[in-house]
Amino acid sequence: MSTTDQVSPPKTKTVAVIDMGSSAIRMVIAEIDDAGHWRRLDRAGKPVSLGRDVFVKGYLSGDAMRQAVKILTGFREMLEGWQIAEEDVRVIATSAIREAKNRDTFLDRVYLRTGFRIDVVEGVEENHLTYLAVQYAVDQMRAQFSRANSLIIEVGGGTTEVMMLRRGKMVAAHSLRLGTIRIEQQVKRSWESATDLETFLRENIRVTQEILNAEMKMESIRFFVAVGGDARLAAARVGRKEHSGFSVVDRKDFNELVARIQGYTLEEIVSELDVTYNEAEGLVPALLILKMFLDSTQATQLIVPDVSIREGVLLSFALGTSKEVEHEFYTQVVASAVNLGKKYRFDQQHAMQVRKLALSLFDQMQDDHGMDQHARMLLEVAAILHDIGNYIRASGHHKHSQYIIANSEIFGLSRSDISVVSHIARYHRKAQPNSSHTSFISLRREQRIRIMKLAAILRVADALDRGHHHRIKGFRLEKGEDVITLYCDYVGDISVEKHGLELKQEMFEETFGYQVVAM
Amino acid sequence: MSDADAPRYFSRDLSWVEFNARVLEEALDEDVPLLERWKFLCIVASNFDEFFMVRVASLKRQIKKGTSGVDPSGLSPETQLSRIIARSKEIITAKYECLWNDILPRLEQEGIVWARTGAYSGSQRTFVRDFFNREIFPVLTPVRHEEPGALPVPGNNRLHIAFLLEPDEDSEMRRLGDYAAAEEGAAGPTPRQGPRTGQGEQEELLAVVQLPPALERIIYVPEQENRITFTLLEDAILENAQQLFPGYRINRQGCFRVTRDADLGVDEERDEDFVEAMEQVLESREYSDAVRLSVVEDGDRLSERLRRALGLDERDVYAKGSPLAMGDLMPLAHISGFDHLRDEHMPPMPPRDLSQEEGTSFWDTLKRRDVLLHQPYESFEPVVRLIQDAAGDPEVLSIKMTLYRTSGDSPIVGALEEAAENGKQVTVLLELKARFDEQRNIRWAEHLERVGVIVIYGIAQLKVHAKALMIVRRESEGVVRYVHLGTGNYNDKTAKLYSDFGVLTTREETAYELNLFFNAISGYSAIPALNRLALAPVGLKTRLLQLIDRERRRASPEAPGLIMAKVNSLSHPEIIDALYRASQAGVKVMLNVRGICMLVPGVPGLSENITVVSIVDRFLEHGRAFYFENGGAEEMYLSSADWMPRNLDRRVELMFPVESAALKRRLKHVFEVTFADNVKARVLQPDGSWERAAKGGRESEVRSQKVFYEEAKSYAQAGEPANRKEFSVRRKPL
Repeated sequence: MSTTDQVSPPKTKTVAVIDMGSSAIRMVIAEIDDAGHWRRLDRAGKPVSLGRDVFVKGYLSGDAMRQAVKILTGFREMLEGWQIAEEDVRVIATSAIREAKNRDTFLDRVYLRTGFRIDVVEGVEENHLTYLAVQYAVDQMRAQFSRANSLIIEVGGGTTEVMMLRRGKMVAAHSLRLGTIRIEQQVKRSWESATDLETFLRENIRVTQEILNAEMKMESIRFFVAVGGDARLAAARVGRKEHSGFSVVDRKDFNELVARIQGYTLEEIVSELDVTYNEAEGLVPALLILKMFLDSTQATQLIVPDVSIREGVLLSFALGTSKEVEHEFYTQVVASAVNLGKKYRFDQQHAMQVRKLALSLFDQMQDDHGMDQHARMLLEVAAILHDIGNYIRASGHHKHSQYIIANSEIFGLSRSDISVVSHIARYHRKAQPNSSHTSFISLRREQRIRIMKLAAILRVADALDRGHHHRIKGFRLEKGEDVITLYCDYVGDISVEKHGLELKQEMFEETFGYQVVAM
Repeated sequence: MSDADAPRYFSRDLSWVEFNARVLEEALDEDVPLLERWKFLCIVASNFDEFFMVRVASLKRQIKKGTSGVDPSGLSPETQLSRIIARSKEIITAKYECLWNDILPRLEQEGIVWARTGAYSGSQRTFVRDFFNREIFPVLTPVRHEEPGALPVPGNNRLHIAFLLEPDEDSEMRRLGDYAAAEEGAAGPTPRQGPRTGQGEQEELLAVVQLPPALERIIYVPEQENRITFTLLEDAILENAQQLFPGYRINRQGCFRVTRDADLGVDEERDEDFVEAMEQVLESREYSDAVRLSVVEDGDRLSERLRRALGLDERDVYAKGSPLAMGDLMPLAHISGFDHLRDEHMPPMPPRDLSQEEGTSFWDTLKRRDVLLHQPYESFEPVVRLIQDAAGDPEVLSIKMTLYRTSGDSPIVGALEEAAENGKQVTVLLELKARFDEQRNIRWAEHLERVGVIVIYGIAQLKVHAKALMIVRRESEGVVRYVHLGTGNYNDKTAKLYSDFGVLTTREETAYELNLFFNAISGYSAIPALNRLALAPVGLKTRLLQLIDRERRRASPEAPGLIMAKVNSLSHPEIIDALYRASQAGVKVMLNVRGICMLVPGVPGLSENITVVSIVDRFLEHGRAFYFENGGAEEMYLSSADWMPRNLDRRVELMFPVESAALKRRLKHVFEVTFADNVKARVLQPDGSWERAAKGGRESEVRSQKVFYEEAKSYAQAGEPANRKEFSVRRKPL
């Protein structure tokens, strides 16, 4: 056999993503290679109003469920044609199914009839997936994004996803309960005409924008990225396709389009814009919401990527293990947490110091705790935010921290992640978990163990900056029989920290079976 | 604008009748070989059959319903109908004159003789009697109508013989016949008692016998070598009819045929079992309203009786000319020997773009370049082979295609079955509504389903007329889709007779959009927005109008612009209006329209820059191609759709751009040759008549179909690899 310098082509596989949204079920099939490139091979989608009943009555109707099963049966046949393995199919469901009271019945029925296991994603996870897709689509503009502030917005049937980035760094991510189907229902009940719709929206969005303004001034936003079918429809009518991944619509043209169609009936939209009824429904409220957000920014144009949450899922498939994207994601999660801290005026230097020490301890104890990178990220976020309860009151601030975190959104973290982080913050001082702590008790066992371990580490790290003087630069860990010794690299006097450690190491000792000593 | 009196459009149906007149011209043309002329006579007849079943029936329905209003040409349904009938009768008369005065005598000179009843020689008579007794008599079922005015219910377009009978009181045979019939209980008439006594003479009995469709119309009578003598099935029956009615005297006998309304739709609401609903339609079509009665007899006693029984007007009777149902007589053109009476043989050539380098696979060639197939000059066989290769290829994942009027024993259907058996996903959209072939379609639909093919029985309310094939193959570099898009059906038989275009390509965007098209017609997906392809009835017409309008907007005195289009029919008012506007802006519009053309060309102020030519030659012109000069950035499209309301508004059709520069050049050349044709081209005049293109001397003759064939042939010969050292062996990959 002779040696060959043949370059073997990248290994490809075909994967599918099905997205069960509030007004349609859609599928995209793509070929991805191990270098993270993907090519869209096929797509399909059919309208079904899953959201309508859920947002009004809270339940998926029998009819909607039947239609969904029928559509999925067709998709199943398509997947067979592509010979896609079961593990290469991901089915996600967003707000409509997420909020349905009978969702478990539905998920079970879908599984029995079609074999699909639906993964109900949460608002923040939706954010993460959309962000991945957008980042991919506007890759050519990455440099510009890193120099200015931007907003990514997607108006859906049930929710509106908003992400704000300061010089490319995530400062806020929200899943607002503001969606075209929901609005339609609310407006139907109380208002009549198009102007009423506008008044209703303006009022609703004003409140939202006040919250957003607290995180980042809306008028500082230069890049306005609008995701979703409605935005794409507008772009197809009045935009330009100047780049491969996205279109651009001038603000003036967009506003003219909105003004023009605002007074249209559904029938007029269908005939004037040459779209289907399904596309026309919700178009006006969606574009109005976009316009109202656009109005409060200084962006001169809308950037409309050719992607959706489905491409985000594809990318998470393709890049699941890619270091580059993981790193990018991680950075955005931390940026989002820091921004939350700023909002509550945290002691940033202390937070960063504790974060550094906690991570160092986590890394050096890898063999003892056996936790993964995700847990490390949760520890990092908890370290950053452990003291934000001081914003309310110093006394019992750990409880306030828990409350604030539990009711906040942090980019990239699911509800269950947020819950873990809030509990870690809660247990960074004072009482250890006990059977009277109902919120802790109600968690799953693995979560409780994870919280115990991470809180124990956080307590040690916090103690090592007890004076808030940031004197310890780092440490080397040495394990003895039943004692862990931290050989610290410090400047000045660290007796306060040593003492603090003595006071706060009980939980660590109980959890890991070691005493900790700082030298 | 134009003269106020001149119509803005020609009448659709009258324009069609003129098309059939052009077909007849081919039969009249002495330059056309004799058996080909015979064939054209048969085509004229079968064209009329379909026309009466569908179009005339529809006009009659409009009149019956009292639909008021006029068609785009300004004619009421009644005026249209009377003009159609008058012109059709002229053509039919000319057809029979041509047959009797010209074709039959010439055939006889060549040794092809029609022996008719009443004119048999002794030996012929014996042969025919034996043949009748042996082959025909056992399958005949005469039906006697005892009541005066009783309604015979002859099936649609079935050839029948009617008899007026009178009891032969003296005949012993009659009673014997009664016994025989009673004992056999089957064939033969069933005379119980004759008509009421005392009314004998006036009240003739009507008896009707249907010609068994299973028997050949043409019966060859033994003859000496180099000669052919044939007689027709009805001759043999008429000759021996007395045997059918023992005890009766035949006063009158004659052939007749009833054409009925065939345009009965399927109940589209009945989605749950479309196949069953279709079967019912086929059945009821047999006995729907009559629209035409064709009769051959001396006098009119039979025809009058039948006419009244069928509720037809006198003008609906076509009584001049024998034989009836000439469409069935086509096989005579194919009798062995007599090649000098036929067109020279033109076997399809290996396609020019596929003259492949030794050792490269079909798949590789297609990945390297797009391929144009210009049938029937070039062979359709590569498409069949592609499907056959795919069926056994382990890398192929799936095959999707539309099937519309495919022949039952088609090798394509066989390959699809094999593919399904090999575990590939095979999806076939089988159009059951292809008007006259439904019966055949239903049979294989069921067969295909049995072997695991996903069969889609069309789309409610819309006939799927698009012609598309996609083979998905997973190769080492990723998925590759092999696509064939064409203007003709996937039918290996008509591919040898119809001139069509097809493109084979692996272009990613085209393949992706075609995939979306299949998703939509398979019910997986809502109708997608398409950029490259255009889909009727959702965007194709709009796209066409935009393309025509773009040419108009770009027109300037220096660069007036050019539109060339080739369609079977042009009858969509919106398209015609757009072409008028383009003409008025100075755009040169050259149209090659084989059949119906409602556009009025050459009218100053309306359409002075538009010319229309029609080509009727040995191959049926069937391709649809559209060219736009577009200020030099030329665009070429192919489509399954004609420019008719039914295609653009009520059918699922595809139009696709030809993207390869080489293919565009080839198609442009096709247009150039077509418009240079001065042998088989007729030019449409502003008054609706058609005139032959001005012919030069023999040397400057251009007969486009011949040119295309010669070109295909010379490319094929040039492309043949000389000095083979090795065979390129085709084997299934391991």
